[in-house]
Amino acid sequence: MEFTALFLAIAVVMLIAWHGPRPLALTLFGVLLLASAATYLHHATDVLKLSF
Amino acid sequence: MTRRLAITLNALSLYALAGVLAAAFAAQLWLHELPCPLCLLQRVQFAMLAIGPILNIRFGPRPSHYAMSLLSAGLGAVVSIRQILLHILPGDPGYGSALAGYHYYTWALIGFTAAILLLASMLLFDRQFEDRANSPIAAGPFAGLAVRLVIALTAANVASTYLECGLAACADNPVVYEMLQRGAR
Repeated sequence: MEFTALFLAIAVVMLIAWHGPRPLALTLFGVLLLASAATYLHHATDVLKLSF
Repeated sequence: MTRRLAITLNALSLYALAGVLAAAFAAQLWLHELPCPLCLLQRVQFAMLAIGPILNIRFGPRPSHYAMSLLSAGLGAVVSIRQILLHILPGDPGYGSALAGYHYYTWALIGFTAAILLLASMLLFDRQFEDRANSPIAAGPFAGLAVRLVIALTAANVASTYLECGLAACADNPVVYEMLQRGAR
């Protein structure tokens, strides 16, 4: 579900970047970046079985 | 580098990103390999990479637009490195099939690294940032088509991930489209 929401949000930000005001696109991009970083941290839970 | 040349290169970068997103779809549909959560997150970062060039085409090149793409490429590289490390031990078959000897997440790291190098190279050319007072250059059909293509592919990913995951968290190792499975029951 979170990825559907992320892709939807990206499509909306792209449309705003193409048709809407620039400051809104920049702000929403920042929110998107934070949301995707949070999603990464949520999914990066598997233990890395490294030998070094 | 003139402003117009920079905008043309930005349009070309959108075609390249559209190619990456289309190739991911081709692997998903023809090879029936559903993307895992980390794979989807790499696609997300490739799509986010496109927002900077869209702004460059519409408002003219600005360092802040390139910075946005650099941040996306950096996060994408972190995600792909994480997935490479998950499968780095000898004997691990990796996730999904390999293309020309490399798995998709390795190709993704190569792609994000190339994007970082290209974006940093673009920032070397100051002339594109001059004449900002001039009105934005009207995007021609070449650039306009690139923008529409990348937006359409992102919208297709909305539908694809909804079919794959539904309203629940995506499976770690997905083998079926949850929503299609639910419809068949």
